[in-house]
Amino acid sequence: MTEAYNILFTGALIVIGVLLLACLIRAIRGPRIADRVIAVNMMGTLIVISICILSFMMGEGWLVDIAMIYTMLSFLAVVLLTKVYMGIYREKRRQREEGQQDA
Amino acid sequence: MLDIIRFVISAALTLAGLFCLLSGVVGVYKFRYALSRVHAAALLDTVGILLMLLGVIVATGFTVASLKMLVVIAFLWLTSPVAGHLIGRLEVTINDELSRDADVLDQDYVEQEKVPETTTTPADDTQEEAQ
Amino acid sequence: MAKIRPDYETSWFGRLMHWLENGSTALDDAMTDEMDAHSRDHLVDSEHHHATQEHALEERRHAALEREQRMYSSLHQWASTKGSRLMRWVYIVASVVMCVGIIALLLNTAANLPPYGDPDNPVNNEVSAHYITQGQAETGAVNIVAGMILDYRAFDTLGESNVLFIAAVTVLVLLRLAPSRDGKPTTEMLEAEADDRLYEPKHDMILQHQANLLVPLILLFGIYVVMNGHISPGGGFSGGAIMGAGLILYLNAFGFRKTERFFTFRTFQIVSLMALAFYACSKAYSFFTGANHLPSIFSPGTPGMLFSAGLIPYLNIAVGLVVCCTMYAFYTLFRKGDM
Repeated sequence: MTEAYNILFTGALIVIGVLLLACLIRAIRGPRIADRVIAVNMMGTLIVISICILSFMMGEGWLVDIAMIYTMLSFLAVVLLTKVYMGIYREKRRQREEGQQDA
Repeated sequence: MLDIIRFVISAALTLAGLFCLLSGVVGVYKFRYALSRVHAAALLDTVGILLMLLGVIVATGFTVASLKMLVVIAFLWLTSPVAGHLIGRLEVTINDELSRDADVLDQDYVEQEKVPETTTTPADDTQEEAQ
Repeated sequence: MAKIRPDYETSWFGRLMHWLENGSTALDDAMTDEMDAHSRDHLVDSEHHHATQEHALEERRHAALEREQRMYSSLHQWASTKGSRLMRWVYIVASVVMCVGIIALLLNTAANLPPYGDPDNPVNNEVSAHYITQGQAETGAVNIVAGMILDYRAFDTLGESNVLFIAAVTVLVLLRLAPSRDGKPTTEMLEAEADDRLYEPKHDMILQHQANLLVPLILLFGIYVVMNGHISPGGGFSGGAIMGAGLILYLNAFGFRKTERFFTFRTFQIVSLMALAFYACSKAYSFFTGANHLPSIFSPGTPGMLFSAGLIPYLNIAVGLVVCCTMYAFYTLFRKGDM
């Protein structure tokens, strides 16, 4: 029975690995900033899934704590990234407007 | 017998979850604009993780670890819509040619986002708190 | 403070500093000054002499400047055309050679390491065997790693918390805007606040309602990880980072004004200092009592209970508080320059 579980979850982990690579390519190629932030969020969720699968496969129950920490941190990362990029845009816009007023 | 039923249920849930993850990532590649990709990415955060983690919970049985996995699912469901909202807000603020990529229904809100109000001073904040 | 000697400008150190700051003409001038100063002792002091001396000095200075300009202009021309191309090639070749060399060295080292898990490795000596066999009985911690870093090697962990504290103090020294003496905000602080408002002009309602629900959960989870440091993997450092993340989320959702109600600079000062002092006092008194402090007054207790393992839960709390305050301080100092 454990071999069946191992085959199933190993296959799932391989597919999740390929999906992680695909999200990474999206993060690099994505023409807009929002594409990259979306890709980072998706990568976080995929990693949470793989941590939970690994915690079952290795029989260690305490690894799910790490998954909880990771969800919190990825959410915090999205909050901060969006705030920083919006602030940079507003700064550049204000500088451009001040430059136009001076000129 | 029970083991086989448990394995079949777990395998069915895991494969369904893998299908949802796959369709989410394919959707992120197929859609052409960032705001549409948020729809596809939300598929992972909600259905994908639910089905996959339910598969793992059925496999582990009723332990503290499976309760923690339920807490992980609940936490992700609480935070994922806010993340999507923030990403949408970011895209609307940064895009200079929004009307070309999407239908803008409320241009005033877009202008408000792009140019911050310079009238919020500390005095205004304390007035809000007093009210 | 040492007194500056009267001939500082013409002494060798003064001339060295002048040369470092102003360039080589200063050295020539100083040397001519010294020559003239020495020769002045032998000559008769007269106005005419002074005038010719100064005139000669001026002419020498002009000649030196012109020579320098001529020399350096050709050097600058070479540097901006052929020199830059040469330097680009030198950089590329040097960087490739260095990278390949370091990679080869590291790969060679990794290939010659002892086999993984071999019982004859130098790491598997009697110390680690003692930790593994006697760790739970002597420290009372089910998590042997926590027992090791907070009981056997507690002094090293004090050094680590100290390093965090020093990092926070360094960032404070470099980045903090000086507080004004009479309590009113200075113009620098007002400008920093005005710049910061671009990053949060009007607070997001959805995020605020979410943070109302989420920040207590995150802080509770952080406290759980800190308190369970000796039972399951976790401990002060990771729990402190989670608590810091919760505080950062609160700050992002609600802004500085509401966060300053409960977390000011004074709070940061008091909390981190008291936590670090508690850790230092509880584990560093062995400097005065000799090395005989392993049997402490806190008994190990039954392993697996929350308040067992002697001092380890309290040390975990202290480390967690230090890390939490440090994380929050880094965020606010880098963002606004003040807390």
